[in-house]
Amino acid sequence: MTTATRDIILPAEWRDFWALTKPRVMSLVVFTALCGLLAAPGNIHPVIGFTAILCLALGAGACGALNQYFEADIDAKMARTAGRPLPARRMDRAAALNFGIGLAAFSVGIMGVAVNWLCAALLAFSIFFYAIVYTIWLKPNTPQNIVIGGAAGAFPPVIGWAAVTGDVTLLPILLFAIIFLWTPPHFWALALFMKTDYGAAGIPMLPNVKGQRVTRNQIFGYSFPMAATAILPFALAETGLVYGIAAVVLNLVFLALAYRVWKNEATDATAMKPEKQLFAFSILYLFLLFAIFAFDRMVIS
Amino acid sequence: MTPNEPTAYTAEETAIIRKRQAGRARVMGIALVGLCVLFFLITVVKVGVWG
Repeated sequence: MTTATRDIILPAEWRDFWALTKPRVMSLVVFTALCGLLAAPGNIHPVIGFTAILCLALGAGACGALNQYFEADIDAKMARTAGRPLPARRMDRAAALNFGIGLAAFSVGIMGVAVNWLCAALLAFSIFFYAIVYTIWLKPNTPQNIVIGGAAGAFPPVIGWAAVTGDVTLLPILLFAIIFLWTPPHFWALALFMKTDYGAAGIPMLPNVKGQRVTRNQIFGYSFPMAATAILPFALAETGLVYGIAAVVLNLVFLALAYRVWKNEATDATAMKPEKQLFAFSILYLFLLFAIFAFDRMVIS
Repeated sequence: MTPNEPTAYTAEETAIIRKRQAGRARVMGIALVGLCVLFFLITVVKVGVWG
């Protein structure tokens, strides 16, 4: 907290530590990991399954804390993130770093001891990839940041699957690929109508570096391999008809919205309704696709 | 200036710090109790008491 008379930071509230973990991002991580866990063949004791999901949630929280530690200066320049604990000076930076490292070490350690060390290794790598490779290296240096960085967000269903089976086969790799290919159209749709915000912070997002036309081409272009990958589990007879129908319908809607983004020529954020619709639908798309995938696999098994 | 550096807090600041410490201690207490229960259950599952 900053007082009116003195520029000091008092010890933070527990709510600020909670905000540091990016709870909304954590919820998507938990959900996709749970779907991977439920869809995997075999059984896992509910206590061990719960522990795996808890460790993933804590690992995602560590990523959020370390990301906010490294990006405190950038966050202060963007309206969307200026209210976070560090840029708002409600928390000391060292506290955020210690919290992030502590959560990362704790989550990986417990995952290894209670679940298995393959999951622990995958979790450790995904935390490293997000906090170091994406946040420090990719994000400030290349407009392809979220393409490569998307890999970090694609690990949770693989880890959920590996918690049950102890290995990684074709199907969890397909789940990884779906999220990996979904990330560019999802984030670039956001980047199009938040262009000014990212530009003010000096982040080289694709619309700022290559322009809106190239970004719209890329969004539409990435939607096709994403749709093909999403339908592959059904095409390979790894799922039933329920998932097959849902995957086709959801991807047709996604492609239709991506097509509208591709055709849109608007440069002003207020006229970017297709981009906003695609961004909103992309979140619903991932939730529904994974939920139906897990349901279908559970019915089959 | 950070909380770790020696500083003379005003009475108002001290009251805020105490309130926040109490809040963090409560949350930490709940988390520790939850972890104790979880570790107990993990141990029971791992040693195979429940088959």
